Amino acid sequence: MTILTLLIPVTLVMGAVGLGAFFWSLHSGQYEDLSGDAERILFDEDDKPLAAYPPGHSGTTKEKTP
Amino acid sequence: MRVISEKHDRKVRPAPSGPVTRAERSASVRPAANGHGVCLISVPNISCGACVARIERALIDCPGVVAARANLTLRQVRVTLTDANTDPSPGYEALAALGYTARPLDPSDTEPASAQQDGPDLLRCIAVAGFGAMNVMLLSVAVWSGAEATTRDTFHLISALIAVPVVAYAGQPFFRSALVVLRGGRLNMDVPIALAVLLALALSLSELLQGGDHVFFDAAVTLLFFLLTGRYLDQLMRDRARSAVTGLARLSPKGAMARGPDGSLEWIALHAVAKGMILHIDAGERVPVDVRILHGDTDLDRSLVTGEAMPVAASPGTELEAGTLNLTGGIEVEVLRPVAESFLAEMMRMLSAAETSRSTYVRIADRAARLYAPVVHLLAVATFAGWLLVTGDWQVSAFVAISVLIITCPCALGLAVPVAQVVAAGRLMRSGILMKDGSALERLAQIDRAVFDKTGTLTTGTPMVTSCFEGEAEQREASKALAMQSRHPAAQAIAAHLPEVACEVADAVEVPGFGVEGRVHGRRARLGRARWVAEIAANPQAATGPAFAFEGAPALSFDLSETLRPGAVDTISDMQSSGIPVTMLSGDDAARVAQVAETLGIAEAHHGMTPARKVGVLEDLRDRGHRALMVGDGLNDTAALAAAHVSMAPSTAADAGRTAADFVFLRDGLDAVATAQDVARATARVVRQNFGLAIAYNCIAIPLAVAGLVTPLIAALAMSASSILVIGNSLRLNGKRAAAPLQSVERGPVAIPA
Amino acid sequence: MMSNLTRAERANAMVIAGTGAFIGLVMAAAGRGDPMGAHGWIVLAFCGALFFVVGSAYEDPEPTQDRTASYYDDPTKVGILIALFWAVVGMGMGVWVASQLAWPDLRFDAAWSSFGRIRPVHTSGVIFGFGGNALIATSFHIMQRTCRARMPDQVTPWFVLLGFNLFCIVASSGYLMGVTQSKEYAEPEWYADLWLVVVWVVYFVLYIRTLARRNEPHIYVANWYYLAFILVVAVLHIVNNLAVPASLTGAKSYSAFAGVQDAMTQWWYGHNAVAFFLTSGFLGMLYYFLPKRAERPIYSYRLSILSFWGITFFYIWAGSHHLHYTALPHWVQTLGMTFSVMLLVPSWASAGNALMTLNGAWHKVRDDATLRFMMVAAVFYGLSTFEGSFMAIRPVNGLSHYTDWTVGHVHAGAMGWVALISFGSIYALAPVLWRRETIYSWKAVEWHFWLALAGTVIYVFAMWNSGITQGLMWRTYTESGTLAYSFTDTLVAMHPYYVARTFGGLLFLIGACIGAWNVVMTIRRMPSETPERDYPTSSESREPALPAAE
Repeated sequence: MTILTLLIPVTLVMGAVGLGAFFWSLHSGQYEDLSGDAERILFDEDDKPLAAYPPGHSGTTKEKTP
Repeated sequence: MRVISEKHDRKVRPAPSGPVTRAERSASVRPAANGHGVCLISVPNISCGACVARIERALIDCPGVVAARANLTLRQVRVTLTDANTDPSPGYEALAALGYTARPLDPSDTEPASAQQDGPDLLRCIAVAGFGAMNVMLLSVAVWSGAEATTRDTFHLISALIAVPVVAYAGQPFFRSALVVLRGGRLNMDVPIALAVLLALALSLSELLQGGDHVFFDAAVTLLFFLLTGRYLDQLMRDRARSAVTGLARLSPKGAMARGPDGSLEWIALHAVAKGMILHIDAGERVPVDVRILHGDTDLDRSLVTGEAMPVAASPGTELEAGTLNLTGGIEVEVLRPVAESFLAEMMRMLSAAETSRSTYVRIADRAARLYAPVVHLLAVATFAGWLLVTGDWQVSAFVAISVLIITCPCALGLAVPVAQVVAAGRLMRSGILMKDGSALERLAQIDRAVFDKTGTLTTGTPMVTSCFEGEAEQREASKALAMQSRHPAAQAIAAHLPEVACEVADAVEVPGFGVEGRVHGRRARLGRARWVAEIAANPQAATGPAFAFEGAPALSFDLSETLRPGAVDTISDMQSSGIPVTMLSGDDAARVAQVAETLGIAEAHHGMTPARKVGVLEDLRDRGHRALMVGDGLNDTAALAAAHVSMAPSTAADAGRTAADFVFLRDGLDAVATAQDVARATARVVRQNFGLAIAYNCIAIPLAVAGLVTPLIAALAMSASSILVIGNSLRLNGKRAAAPLQSVERGPVAIPA
Repeated sequence: MMSNLTRAERANAMVIAGTGAFIGLVMAAAGRGDPMGAHGWIVLAFCGALFFVVGSAYEDPEPTQDRTASYYDDPTKVGILIALFWAVVGMGMGVWVASQLAWPDLRFDAAWSSFGRIRPVHTSGVIFGFGGNALIATSFHIMQRTCRARMPDQVTPWFVLLGFNLFCIVASSGYLMGVTQSKEYAEPEWYADLWLVVVWVVYFVLYIRTLARRNEPHIYVANWYYLAFILVVAVLHIVNNLAVPASLTGAKSYSAFAGVQDAMTQWWYGHNAVAFFLTSGFLGMLYYFLPKRAERPIYSYRLSILSFWGITFFYIWAGSHHLHYTALPHWVQTLGMTFSVMLLVPSWASAGNALMTLNGAWHKVRDDATLRFMMVAAVFYGLSTFEGSFMAIRPVNGLSHYTDWTVGHVHAGAMGWVALISFGSIYALAPVLWRRETIYSWKAVEWHFWLALAGTVIYVFAMWNSGITQGLMWRTYTESGTLAYSFTDTLVAMHPYYVARTFGGLLFLIGACIGAWNVVMTIRRMPSETPERDYPTSSESREPALPAAE
C-alpha cells in the first residue's frame, strides 16, 4: 500500500490544520459565551451589516480579559 | 489596575438605587489598548437571548458608548467607551430602565489570572491528546487488523513520532502534579497515572527499537485523553460556580467619598482610606471601615455585622463597624482605624485561621490513591520479580510488569469522581445551588450535625407587619403615605402591608433615627418610633413597635416581627428526624432566639454569640468527632462557615460569607439545604459504585496482566470500556428527578416583638 | 444587477470574462477533432456571453447607495435560482436513467443517451449542480449574516458562482460526449479539474476574507462546517485528480496511481466527498436555518461544536469500507470499517441535536412545511448515517455491496437528507432574500413536502427490497455447488422494484418542479415586504419592557 505514504501525511497535515484552527479559536475567545452565541443568530431586527464595533474591537483582535 | 476616577470632578448625589455609587461605577472603567475605556458590568438577571439583544441595543444608544457585548453565560456586559474618562453612568441608567440590576465588576474581584488560564490550557492539552489519540488509534487499528512486517514497523514508528510529543505536551498537568506530591513525600492519583504513561511510552520505544510486536502508544495517548477530560470537567464545574458567585451583587464597598480640607468630596479607593480621614456616607451606602459619626442622624442596618435584623438609630458619637448599612440619612464620619485593623479585617483573620484548620480534609480520590498506588506498584514489582525467577529473561519480565502498570492505570478511578460530581453540580445548579468544588459534595454527604445562624438564615432578616391598629381608613391611608417616604425597613414593611391607596402628603421630612413627619389634609402627622410619635399624640404611650398619630389624636401602633425563610420548618424537622441534631447560633437576645427555636422545634439554641464563640462551638463539635454543616449569612458567621466541616450560605449573605461557604443557594427557600444534602448523598453512592466498578475491572484485568496475557488491543479495549461504564453510571445522577420546588411556602411570621 | 457593480468592478469582470473567452478559443483551436475542442467552444460561448452582458451595462450609472449598509445578496439570489434549475435537470436525468433500467428501450439507440453517459449527468447534476450551487448560495448568505459584515468585494462571489457553474456545464456536456476519468463523482477530465481548483481556492479565500472582516466576534458554528467543506474538498479533489494528460490537446488523461492504489485514493476521496460535500456543508445549512426557522437556539451549541470536530476527525479514514473483499489489504478494510462504525457517534449527535432543538416547537413543525423539510432531513440524516455504519461492517457489506441496497442507502441520504434540507433552506431563504412577505404558495410547499417524502420512501423501500433480493440471489447455490440464479434471473426479479423506483423518483422530480415554480412565483408575484419602520429599529413595540422569566 504505497499510496498510504501519500494519504497518511495528507491526513496528518489536515489534522494538524484542524488542531491549529482549534487552538486559534480557543485563543481568540470563541468559546467564551456559547449559550449567548447560539442565540445571536436569531436576532433579525435589522438585516444589515453591523458597523458598531470600533477597530480593534471586532473579533479579530480580541483583548485579553485580565 | 489604574484608578482613573481622580480626574473626575463630580458632585455628590444620592445613589439612585442600592449601594452602588457613581464613583464606584467610574472607578470600574479601565483604559483599553486603543484609547477606549472598557468596563465590565455584572448583570445577574440576563436570562435569554432577547435580553442580550435588548441590552446591547439600549447600551449602544447611550452617550459615550462605542460598543457593548453581553455575555449570557457569565451574565456580564462588556461596554467599550470612547475613552477611559467617560462616565459609564448612562449605561447603568439604561440598564436600570430596562429592569436589569447592574453592578460594576471589578476585575480584581475575580480570581488571579493564573487560575483563569488553567481552563484554556487544559483544553489545549485535550485537543492535542485527542488529535494524537485519533491518529495513533488509526494506526493501531491497522496493526491490530493485520498490517505486517514493514508496514507495521512503519506504523509503529509514525505512532511513536506522534505519541512522544503529544505525551510530552498533554501529560504535563499529571507530571507536574505528581512531581509536587512526590516532593512532599505523599501520593495522589496522578503518581500512578504519570508512571503508567511514562513507562508505557518507554516500553513502547524500546520495543520499537527492537522491532517488537507490542507497542502501547495508543494506550498511553488515549489514557491521557480520557483523564484530561475528567480533569477538565472538574475544572469546568469550579469555573462555572466561581463566575456565578462573582456575578452576585457585591455588598462591601470598594472605596468611599472623602471630604478634603477645602470641603470638596473626592472618591478614594478603599486601601487609601487612612485613620483620621473624614468620610461622607450617603443613605443607602455601606460603611467601608470602622468609623465614628461626627455629624448627622441616621438608622443603621447592622444585620451583616451583628446578625440583628432590626435597624438601630445612630447619632453623632456612635461608633460603626465596617459593613454596616446606612439606611436613612447622610452622615459625616471620622475614620477610627485603618482598613487593615477594621472589624472586617479582624473577621478575615479569623476566617483564614479557621480555613487552615479545615484544610486537612483529603478528597476521596486521593484517599483511594493512597491505598491504590502502593498496592499497584508492589504488584508490578512482584510481577517483575516472579517472571524474572521463572523465565530469567529480564526483558520479558519488564514488559509484563509494565503492562500490569498500564492495565491498572486508574483511568476509571480518575473519571469516577469528577464525572459524578460534575453531573451533580449541574443538577444542583438547576435547583439554584452553586457549589465551590467537588470536595464540598463529599463533605456534605458525611455530616452528622447541622448548625444554623438565625437572622438572615432561618429568618429572612426583613421585618413584616404582624398586627396593625384598627383605625379609620384615613389613618391607614396617611400611614401608608408617610411610610412610602422612607427606605427604613420598618416603613417599607408598613407600606407593603397596608392595601390602601396613599393620600397626599405635604412637607414630608424624614428625621433619621425617629421617623417621618408630614402634613396630611392639613393635619400634622408622624410615623415612627413610639416615643417620638407620642410627643404629638394625645395619649402618651409606651409601645415598643412603630406608631402613627395625627397631632392631638391618639397614637396607633404596629407590631413587627421577623419572618421565617420559606421551607425552614420542613428543613429543620426533616433533618432532625433523619438523625442530624440541629443547633441554632445567634447573636440576638434570649427571648427572640427562644421564640424562633420553639417555632422550629430546635432543642439547642445559643443566644448572644460573638463570631469567636460561634467558631468555638464548631471547633468543639469537631473535637468531639462530629462533622457539622454550618448554614449562615452574616459577616459574623464567616469564620464559623470556614470552621465547619462544610458550609452553606444564601446568596444574600455578606461577600465574605459567600466566599467562605462551600455552597451558595440562590433561591429564597431553605429547602436548598435538604436538596443539596440529597444530591450529595446520591453522588457519594454513585462514586462508591464507580469505585466498585473500577475495582471489579481490576480484579479481572490484573490476573490477565500478571499472567502476561495483555496485548495492546486488550489494554485499549479494557480501558475504554471501563471509562465509558463509569461515565454512564455517573450520568444516572442526572436522570433522577430533581427535588420538586417548594410547594407550601409557610411565611408565617413568628411573633417576636421588634 | 449590474447596477450594483462599480465601473472598476465591471471592468474587472470584463477582463476575467475576456481571459476566459480567450482560453476557450485556445482550447477550441488546440483541441480540434477532440471533445476538448467542443469544450473550448462552450467555454468561449459562456465567457463571451458574460463579457457582453457586463459590457453592455458598462456605461450604466454607478451605484450610489452606501455599500456597507447592506449585505451583497445578488450572487445568492442567482445561486438559488441556478440550484433550482440544476435540481430539475439533474432529477429529470435521474428519472430518465431509472426508467432506462426498467425499460431499456428508452435509450433510443443513441451513443450519448446510453446509461453510462447520462448516469454521471444525473449524479453530477444533483450533487454538484443542485447541491453545490445550494451550498455556495447559502454559504454567501450565512457567512455575511453571522459575521454581520458584507462580502469584501463584488466580483469574487460572481467568479466563484459562475466559475463553478462553468465547471458543471463542462463536466456534464463532457459525459454526453464520452469524456470521463471513470472515477465516481470525479469523472471530469484534467482541464475541468484544474479549473475547479482555481475556483475553489478563490472560494476559500473569499470565505476567509469575509470572516476577517466580521463585526461579530464569534464565528457561528455553521461557518466552521462550511469552511471544512471548502478546505477538505479542495485537498481531496487535488489528490484524487492527480493525473497525467495523454496530450495537452486532448481530453484523455491517465491517473497518477495504478490498480488498488488508485482504488484506495478514489474511495478515500469518494467517501470524504460524502463527508465534506454532502454532510459538512449541509450540516452548516442545518445549523443555521433550522434554529432560525424554529426561532429557537440550537439545543446544545457545545455539542454542535464537539460533533464538528468529531466528524472532521472520524470521517477521514472511513473510505476503505467501499473496498471490502477486494485486493485491498485486509487490515485497511478493517480500518475503514472501524472508523465507519465510530462515525455513528458524532453523526447521531448532530441529528439528535437538531431534533432536540425542535423539542418545544413541534406545533411549528406541524404547521410549517418548511420547518418540516428540515426536521425530516435531520431524521433521514440519522437514519442514513446509521445505515452507512451498519453497511460498512464487512459481513453486512458482503451482502449489500454491488447491489441496489447501496443505491437505496445513497438516495436515502441524497434525497432524504441533502435535498430536503436544501429545499427547506431555500424556502426559508427566498422570502428573506427577495424581501417578500412570504412564500408564494404555502400549499405548494405542502405538496412539495409530501411528494418529496413519498418519493423518497418509495424509492428507498424499493431499493432495500431489490438490493437484499439481489444479494441473496447472487449468493444462493444449488446442491451441486453452482449458482442457483443466472444474472438475467436477478434482473427479472428486480424489474418491479425498478418501476417503483422510477415512480418514486418521478414524485420527487414533480416536487422539485413545484418548488422551482413556487420560488419563481414568489419573486414575480408576491408583494414586497414594506418595512414596518425605519432602520435602525427600536424594539419597544415588540417586546415586554421587563425581562421575562426572572
